[in-house]
Amino acid sequence: MRTITRRALLRSGLAWCAVAPWLKPLRADADTDAGQPAPQMAPGVTDTEIVLGMSAAFSGPSRGLGIELYRGATAYFDHVNEQGGIAGRNVMLKTYDDGYQPAPSVRNTLKLMLQDQVFLLFGYVGTPTVTRVLPMLKKFQDRNFFLFFPFTGAQPQREPPYGDFAFNLRSSYRQETAGLVDNFVRINRKRIAVFYQADAYGRSGWAGVRRALKHYGRQIAGEATYRRGTKFTASMRRQVEILKASQPEAVICIGSYAACAAFVRDAVNLGLQVPIANLSFVGSENLLKLLTHWALTEERGNSEQYTRLLVNSQVVPSYEEASMPAIKEYRDLMRRYNPQPPLELLKEPYLPSEHSFVSLEGFIDAKLMVEILRRLGDRPERSQLQQAVFTVQDFDLGIDERASFGPDRRQGLQQVYYTVVEEGRFVLLDNWEDRFA
Amino acid sequence: MKIQKLFQKTLFGVFSLFGLISLSTSVLCIYTVDTHLSEEYESNSKDIAKTIADSSVDILLNRDLSALQSLIDQFVEIQSIRYIYIADEEGEFVAHTFVPGVPEEIRTGDRNNTATVERSLPGMGDFVEVGSPILAGVAGTVHVGMDTDLIALKIQRAIGRQVYLISIILVVGVLAAIWFVNLAAKPLGDLLAYAVTLARDRDNGADDTLLARDDEVGQLARLFLYFSEGVPAEGEQRVSSGNDG
Repeated sequence: MRTITRRALLRSGLAWCAVAPWLKPLRADADTDAGQPAPQMAPGVTDTEIVLGMSAAFSGPSRGLGIELYRGATAYFDHVNEQGGIAGRNVMLKTYDDGYQPAPSVRNTLKLMLQDQVFLLFGYVGTPTVTRVLPMLKKFQDRNFFLFFPFTGAQPQREPPYGDFAFNLRSSYRQETAGLVDNFVRINRKRIAVFYQADAYGRSGWAGVRRALKHYGRQIAGEATYRRGTKFTASMRRQVEILKASQPEAVICIGSYAACAAFVRDAVNLGLQVPIANLSFVGSENLLKLLTHWALTEERGNSEQYTRLLVNSQVVPSYEEASMPAIKEYRDLMRRYNPQPPLELLKEPYLPSEHSFVSLEGFIDAKLMVEILRRLGDRPERSQLQQAVFTVQDFDLGIDERASFGPDRRQGLQQVYYTVVEEGRFVLLDNWEDRFA
Repeated sequence: MKIQKLFQKTLFGVFSLFGLISLSTSVLCIYTVDTHLSEEYESNSKDIAKTIADSSVDILLNRDLSALQSLIDQFVEIQSIRYIYIADEEGEFVAHTFVPGVPEEIRTGDRNNTATVERSLPGMGDFVEVGSPILAGVAGTVHVGMDTDLIALKIQRAIGRQVYLISIILVVGVLAAIWFVNLAAKPLGDLLAYAVTLARDRDNGADDTLLARDDEVGQLARLFLYFSEGVPAEGEQRVSSGNDG
């Protein structure tokens, strides 16, 4: 047994006196039993929880988007919470329904920021909603509120003056539309028409197509619009007639699933036999469900005639690619937790999809969100958020692309995938020529 | 009966006067409200077009068009504004609120013209369109379409409220006039009846109530009684004046 000599005691005493003044502040942060008042937690953070705020469509014709995004994110958050959370804190999602309408979205955001005092905003759905919320983030910039991974590929949250208040994970509509135009032009389908939602989302996609066509010295061949909130039961005959008159060789739809499914239905019925592309926001599985169900109930025979010319761009890999670790984890956790939409927000019945691109996106968003929260350490502060995001460099999410962020890079992923319907499900398109040429 | 005729004439006169006042006030009110509101709607729309034009410069030059669309979507929520479109310097529609598409008349029209024009768009209705140049026109133009039917409806409502008030005043005035004329005519009617009775029965026809009145009717009643009893020699008795109580 080692004996403590008087000299050793004196030496250690002197050493303690030398370092004590510097150690004291650190101890005050860590030690709450020493009579010091416990330092205050950041808003939205308690000893047991980190609360994130989400406003999305949980009602109306686009409710499938908010619900599926929420389900995917919840599957991962539930998993993390079951494993002990982040530094002992569970991740909680405080959700509100905005029905994909700007005014409720703004009200919900105010509530989340000022009343609920959430730690950050997460998983907002839609361009018309997010573009109205962005100025509020700027207004309250002294409180360091950030919007993480909105389900929109529009530009306003990617560029000044509001780009500094949001972090995007998914590719932009500009990238999606450019990819679609490039591929259509490559297979000699150069007369491209646009069917779009008459709002900021539609305009964002329209601008993307216009920009991409300009690159080839071409213009949009024809365009038709619809009102946000249009249901599948609505007629799109006029829109189809307008586009048909422009003799397009392909149509790019910038809309949500109900209206786009109605357009596809009427386009096929009126003989517009050209490839019809949809952006990732459309909600591919819900679109397919509507068309398949309609074909069956209307006794139109096989739904294949309505789906064979569809090509949907995606911003996450196919959920069928179980060889990717994140996809396998997604499938496992969706099966295990089978997350349900928030019951208090459900105004009408909703049949969730077992797997979907939207819920997979929500899952991957949550996965990166958890990683960022972990990087904040034991005492998360909003003021540290941006710096924590910038430490995400070449980060492996478990898909075929690594995520990176930086002061000049506020979008983590860049890849766009193209899918077509085969045997009643969306699969990756491997050859555009064979399919559409 | 003379009193009734007098009453009818008075009433007719009062009614005509009130009617004339009401009619002229209503016409003036309709003209004023119509002119002012029409001018105000047009002026407001021009202000909106100018506001959008001023706000659009930065967006058109530096930002994505979705921000521009978001901007006009907020303005089109204002009642009576039915459509907004923005054409760039080359005349391309870079943002608009039309569904299912830009109408033919607007597509083929002069997009650089910012003068106020009236449009009739098939399937949409009649509109007054105002315009404003963006960056003195070198960056494009903003056009705001007001629904004339909706404006007309609003003007009609505003006018309707004023005419409704005037009509109520007319009805109340006429009813009050009837009541007042009736009030004045009733003693005259009583006096006439008294005179008739007195003429028929000079000894028992006296009406104490009428004779006790201290107004012109009382004086006339006493005068009738005096005449019915036979006129005395001059200077024998003087008819009391109206001020003797």
